Amino acid sequence: MAATDRRSLLAAALALPGVLPAAALAQSIPDEGIVALKYLDYRDWQPGANRMTVKSPSFYVMTPFAGSWTVEGAVVYDAMSGASPLWFNTLSGASGLGVTDYRTSGDVKVTKYFDRWSIGVGGVYSYERDYISRAGALEVRWWTADRNTTLSFGFGGAADAISPSDREIDNGKRDTLDFLFGVTQALSPTAIIQSNLTYSRGHGYYSDPYKTLDHRPDERRIFTWLTRYNQYIPAYDAALKLSYRFINDSFGGQSSAFDVTWTQPLPQGFVVSPVVRYYTQSAANFYYNPPFPQGFRIGQDYTADTRLSSFGAVTVGVKLAKVFADGWVADLRFDFYRARSSWALFSSGSPGIDPFSARWIEAGISKTF
Amino acid sequence: MRRLIAALAALACTACASYAPPKPWEKGDLAKPSMQFDYDRLDARYTDHVYASKEMATGGVAVGGGGCGCN
Repeated sequence: MAATDRRSLLAAALALPGVLPAAALAQSIPDEGIVALKYLDYRDWQPGANRMTVKSPSFYVMTPFAGSWTVEGAVVYDAMSGASPLWFNTLSGASGLGVTDYRTSGDVKVTKYFDRWSIGVGGVYSYERDYISRAGALEVRWWTADRNTTLSFGFGGAADAISPSDREIDNGKRDTLDFLFGVTQALSPTAIIQSNLTYSRGHGYYSDPYKTLDHRPDERRIFTWLTRYNQYIPAYDAALKLSYRFINDSFGGQSSAFDVTWTQPLPQGFVVSPVVRYYTQSAANFYYNPPFPQGFRIGQDYTADTRLSSFGAVTVGVKLAKVFADGWVADLRFDFYRARSSWALFSSGSPGIDPFSARWIEAGISKTF
Repeated sequence: MRRLIAALAALACTACASYAPPKPWEKGDLAKPSMQFDYDRLDARYTDHVYASKEMATGGVAVGGGGCGCN
């Protein structure tokens, strides 16, 4: 089998869930629609070797209709190529053949607004040669009469089918249920906070079939606490955005992510938004340090996937937007990401792992109508 | 971790101390695009996708996103 037909699960460096994020102040139907196009150029590498490259155009549209409804949807296409690790930092593309994969995903969501609440129903379909995902979600929001407090309740499910291109696996299915409870509170005329609790429970195939000896538990529970705080600064007409996310994963790892963004309007309709993010995670219970395959026992869970190791990561980025007349906005964003074992907090970093770097560039245009 | 939780609790208390919910005519600044949590939907999706492909787990914003071959 040609190497370019294999390991596309690993190659899917960007294939991702078509999430349907909730807007902050969605207590009433939007009074205008929006259509947006964006293009992502992504690349990552480790010392002495390039890894994955991803090109990804996407399209999004949202429009109100019939007085109290909205419909929104997105389509994204990912074209991925390069090399991914078989274990630790040993790359699949060392032979020079590399891997390729493509993913197409679409989602749609319909929301009905009432005086004090709304209900939304959405669906997602994602296709890769070796991975098909179907997901649906129901979301209910209720807000107080003064519209300063919003409660969100979400329920979702996903059915995934994994079929590696180079081998047969037993029962390559994975089913997941998600639950969300969130509170959004306007604290003052210039401050708003949102806190979400989510719980995800899944059963099925979690191993990575393209990673050597990889064998993971067939059940996974993930608890997430996300809190975001936005503060408007009148003196600068700017917004300070803070975010903290904690995750407890039944695989054994815990993670914390801190985000800080400053959004600053400039003359001539420009808006600049620098962002800094720090992330740290502890290792999964079944992750074993090098040398490979130290710790491997037949029939027991094992991984040498560095994404399940203990490490810390820093992202610095900046987004520049230009607001034109008639609702047009053009934007350009650049992010640089670097991960190192020694940057882990709350746990010792996993030894023997090369630093990992990535950079991605987004260019987009949107129009409200 | 305990210090972190204590710091977050202190931040929450500070926020609560300045708790003065806006009147309807005071929400102009909160309604600005820069004060929304996910105003640029495609940007938020790309960012989530990138991190989900290289870190152990993600989530917290929504439910029912489905899976992928990236993690």
